Amino acid sequence: MIKIKLFGSLRLKTGCKGLEADSQNIKTVKEACALMAEATGMTLAEYKNCVIMLNGKQAKISAKVSDGDELVFLAPSGGG
Amino acid sequence: MSTNYGGYMGKVMHIDLTTGRTNEYPWSDEERRLYIGGKTMAAKILGDNLKKDTPAFSEENMLVITTGPFTGSGAPSSSRFNISTLSPQTGILTSSNCGGNFGYYLKKAGFDALVISGKSPKPVWLQIHNDTFTFHDADGLWGMHTGKVQQVLDEKLSSENGGMAVKNGKIVIGPAGENLVLYASIVSNERLAGRGGTGAVMGWKNLKAITVSGNHQVQVYNREKLDALNKKWFKYLKSHPLTGDQLPRLGTAGLVSTMQMRGQLSTKNYNYGQYDDFEMVNGETLAEEYNIVNKGCLTCPIKCARTVEVDGKAVKGPELETLGLLGGGILNNDLYSILKWNYELDELGMDTISAASTLAYAMEANEKGLWDNGLEFNEENKDKMSQVWEDIAYRRGVGDELANGSRWCSEKYGGKEFAIHSKGMELAAYEPRRSVGLGLGYAVSNRGGCHLNGGYMVLIEGLSLNVNSQTPHGKPDFTVIFQDLMEGVSSCGQCLFTTYAFFPPPLISHPHSWYTRLFCKAVPVLGPVLRLLNKFPGMVCFHLPLIFNQSKALHLVTGMPVTFGSFFKAGKRGYTLERHINSRFGISRKDDSLPSRLTDVPQVEGDESTKVPLERMKNVYYHARGWSDDGIPTPKTLRKLGLDKLDSYKVTCEEFRSSSGGASR
Repeated sequence: MIKIKLFGSLRLKTGCKGLEADSQNIKTVKEACALMAEATGMTLAEYKNCVIMLNGKQAKISAKVSDGDELVFLAPSGGG
Repeated sequence: MSTNYGGYMGKVMHIDLTTGRTNEYPWSDEERRLYIGGKTMAAKILGDNLKKDTPAFSEENMLVITTGPFTGSGAPSSSRFNISTLSPQTGILTSSNCGGNFGYYLKKAGFDALVISGKSPKPVWLQIHNDTFTFHDADGLWGMHTGKVQQVLDEKLSSENGGMAVKNGKIVIGPAGENLVLYASIVSNERLAGRGGTGAVMGWKNLKAITVSGNHQVQVYNREKLDALNKKWFKYLKSHPLTGDQLPRLGTAGLVSTMQMRGQLSTKNYNYGQYDDFEMVNGETLAEEYNIVNKGCLTCPIKCARTVEVDGKAVKGPELETLGLLGGGILNNDLYSILKWNYELDELGMDTISAASTLAYAMEANEKGLWDNGLEFNEENKDKMSQVWEDIAYRRGVGDELANGSRWCSEKYGGKEFAIHSKGMELAAYEPRRSVGLGLGYAVSNRGGCHLNGGYMVLIEGLSLNVNSQTPHGKPDFTVIFQDLMEGVSSCGQCLFTTYAFFPPPLISHPHSWYTRLFCKAVPVLGPVLRLLNKFPGMVCFHLPLIFNQSKALHLVTGMPVTFGSFFKAGKRGYTLERHINSRFGISRKDDSLPSRLTDVPQVEGDESTKVPLERMKNVYYHARGWSDDGIPTPKTLRKLGLDKLDSYKVTCEEFRSSSGGASR
């Protein structure tokens, strides 16, 4: 399984905290984006434009994912 | 003294609490042009009056409350005001910027700033309505919490006005200020001038509160063009991913999750950069389970404030710093407890950052056997915290020592390596070993361990951009630029959050694009180019439309000739002025420091890059600033910035008292 978590404004917009995906169906970050877009009713671009962390490191859209990985979608943020 | 510039009321008042006299403080148009307003103006006034041996708790020390030319002009996020003084916490200049509406109403009363010296012989509160200054006995208010005293003051003003509510601004202190807690705050509505102990200085002066009201109007140089610019500016801020989406939706609390992912979330007194239970105390959980409504200051499109319910009452929610330091900072995963403590600390009137960080130090000192104080990182201890805050505010038991901050406690009990402060001011919740540019900023910041005054490099080192957070290359030059721009914005009376829109939206909202990746890769090698801008700011003799509207707005508000370059130079002048004054109090390279936990111990075991290479960055930083190797602004730098004739004191309290004045106590 691949654990997917969602943070930032996208989480508030969709009401989705994340989901677990079958690693048989998801091989890349891009496929995970498509899955999340479908599951939450958002566009693919909104997920592709997130900061994406794969097992704690920022990942490219083309990065491969495998069983046991944790994928996190974050919005860029700033504050004080 | 009037002014030829728009945006100013043309009047600064000096109030001597010892005698109850008020006089106009001399402030010329040349000074307006050089120092603009806000914290820079306050620094100049304090620099003109404080001597190197002036104690923070003395009649000679001043509370300088300033607005900027944007305050009341209609510019976005421009209702800020600033309070500066000689800090009892750090022993150097401090400035604390506050939202709310006090600045707006101070201008309605007809004043750009108040300069408060002396000490009232008994507790008083000061009512300012237009040109009338009235001192009232504060015996009945002394001891009140900050919310209650504001409510009572509203009732008093209303009662005087035949039962009709009076539109006014207020600043007050709570028990922490009265009892001289070194990090006591000044409170205005639900907002705080939180840092540096301004509340303790007000308490020492026996001044419980000030109310301001009036019916003056701010006149600007070119209203038509300013309104047109403001319209575009509001629209831009609302469309920007940071100021138009993340901050309105989640507030600063939204940073917790990103900081966790980047290893930047201070955990267990900065032992670690990640907290396993962060999802229980992050901004998303705050928004989903506790936030009632988003609020904002006057004229602010960002609306970053949260409102939550505590004990059945709607109160201000916590900022990122409070969530981080009272959450992972002390291994507390109970979000409701943080909401409650945040409210209690505001009501007592003290800085949540310093209170939380001092507590975390004390817990670790107890754990290590250095200080038997009964404070521990555990679940059971949680129930004691409300009592600890009260004990600090009233200086009872162990609270009496905690009230002096982590520097004082570590000097007494040991453990300086884990007393997380710089120059006596505790650091915010960002762990700098995974944002080394911010580490430099914390250390060189003029008011002590402040992320914003330090240049807020973490914004590009992981929060909104992915610049290599471990390399020191390019960071000192960027730090100088960010510090100077923020100094300029602050001096205008505008919220620093508007500066985040300096990065064009595509750069932020397309993190995987070639241009964003190129920018992030380029930052570490841009140092020499930025050095040119730092050395010759005047070469940017035009405005930067849309992304940096402040320079054009300053021209349209005041009528001063301003370009991006001259605006940047004014910020540079302000930052250097503060350092120049601090050097009078003995500040030099040795004080630009961090606790050794952050500079000598890697956050990730075995990875030497996860500590702050501070000394190396300081060398470059001083060079970029035109300061000596010892961190002192050189005569050449002072001359270039017009700061070379500042050593004579302009007014002394004695001279002021010997002049005529209108008493009204």
